[in-house]
Amino acid sequence: MTGALEAVGLRKRFGATTALAGFDLDVGAGEIVGLVGHNGAGKTTFARAAVGLVTPDNGMLRIEGFDVARHSKRTRPLVGLAPQELALYPTATARQNLHIFAGLYGLRRREAQRRIAQLADDLVLTDILERRVRELSGGQQRRLQAATAMVHRPSVLLLDEPTVGADPITRDALLTVVRSAARQGAAVVYTTHYLPELDALEATVAVADRGQIVARGERASLLAAVPGRAVVEFDCAPPALAVPAGGSVDVCAVDRRLTITAPDPGAMLVPILAAHPDVAAHLQTIELHPPTLDDLYRHLLRT
Amino acid sequence: MRRLPGIRLTAEVRHQSALIARDPGPMIGYVVMGLLLITVLRPLYAALGHLVQPAPLSGIDQAAAGMAVMFSLFALKVGAAHVLNERTWHTWDRLRASPAGFGEILAGKALPIFGALVVQQAILFGFSAAVFGLRPSAGWWALALCAVVWSACVLLLGFGASTLARSPAQLGAGGDVFALLTTVLGGSLVPVALLPGWLQHLAPASPGYWALDAYRSALVAGPAQLGRPLAMLGVFGLIGAGLACLIGSGRRFALPPRARSRDERSRCVPGDRPTRT
Repeated sequence: MTGALEAVGLRKRFGATTALAGFDLDVGAGEIVGLVGHNGAGKTTFARAAVGLVTPDNGMLRIEGFDVARHSKRTRPLVGLAPQELALYPTATARQNLHIFAGLYGLRRREAQRRIAQLADDLVLTDILERRVRELSGGQQRRLQAATAMVHRPSVLLLDEPTVGADPITRDALLTVVRSAARQGAAVVYTTHYLPELDALEATVAVADRGQIVARGERASLLAAVPGRAVVEFDCAPPALAVPAGGSVDVCAVDRRLTITAPDPGAMLVPILAAHPDVAAHLQTIELHPPTLDDLYRHLLRT
Repeated sequence: MRRLPGIRLTAEVRHQSALIARDPGPMIGYVVMGLLLITVLRPLYAALGHLVQPAPLSGIDQAAAGMAVMFSLFALKVGAAHVLNERTWHTWDRLRASPAGFGEILAGKALPIFGALVVQQAILFGFSAAVFGLRPSAGWWALALCAVVWSACVLLLGFGASTLARSPAQLGAGGDVFALLTTVLGGSLVPVALLPGWLQHLAPASPGYWALDAYRSALVAGPAQLGRPLAMLGVFGLIGAGLACLIGSGRRFALPPRARSRDERSRCVPGDRPTRT
């Protein structure tokens, strides 16, 4: 997969603050990368660097093979950015907002009208196109902002927390459009704190921490290293079980519950219970909790 | 897909015109107030003309030119506000992230505002001509030339002011003080000859002084005397443009990303303890 967006060793400081400290990210055409991390991990600075709003002190950043710093006139038309904060014209209508961004990216009026009609339909904006932005709800404004980033069909789409404050319907509509953009070949960087969205997008994951990417890959492979939980409930105080020593196994008994935290707690539970046939009579329930992206996020960023 | 500067500029001009049309109140106010004061002050200036020897301007000449200068200076805030809004609405960064260059963005914003300023001048002088018989001795073309140059100067000063102001409130207060000071110092409200002596020496420091001088040349003196005041207005315009380019394209418009927004704070994952890096 060729990288539509390639960042290698990006570094950026704002005074005493290090925003990027060797930030590496490669996103292929048609790929959706979920970029997660603490506030201040460098996600927004990276997005701003990709559109030329921030010039990195060091490192290389390319869009479709063009260096962003040296060829910004070639790279800017290729990128669509929906920034974290709302950046729309509140006194103008939704349609006027879409038209200005379409025009800025070189779409002729008739072409823009067709594209706006299509996006409005996809993002459930058709009924509000003639309303002023300041009269719209937060979710509608979020959808509109995403639409302004996609109106020129960018080959690299940067969405910085696009669903903040959005209701489930708004979120679903937006995720559908993002998936559609990726299917049409766009490389998507989707920044979020709401990790279930990455499952819905079937995105690969990049975890940023202190200006660096500390984990990057398919969700399944990243989750394999993260402990899950098995919660076993008894009708009496939990018996003392012989748990295999070593590894990252943690056993915790509270009231009538025994919680086993391990990379594959289900597989671990079977031999333990088989070795203690006397406890089977006291078993009430067994709940298995495989690791989620939330767990991955906490696991990686805890240290 | 063709990405022509012409398409971008057309889109920007159309959009800026729509923004002005969506919020026309301030501009209408500065036209209506000008019309009222021309009507009210004309007899006063006619009377003052007998006190100032030689009489600088007739009653309607002084009233029309003075109010045109005064209320275009107040309208400077309108132009500046349209640029400042781009920052408060966070749209400035999106314009900068687009393929449009800095000059192209400013041109797209400037042309409709410039048009509004010219229309304001045209209404004030047109009213004075239709109702009070104002006739420029140097010809209408000379008056139109003055209006165009002065409007461009006001526009560029407004762009400069927008880079100095940090908030709409600051721009409003600063703009009012600047407009009144420039108006008074330039002789638009009270003829310079009637100002205290020390103020008369300071008058040429006001762009309003040169605007009134240009209008005086068009109205009573003749086209031969237009050159100097128009050149001075060009200098003031360049100062405003310099401020806009030096400060506007630099740090004041390129603010670093804020550490955390309210939205971010409300969306922390449970158990997540945000750290500062």
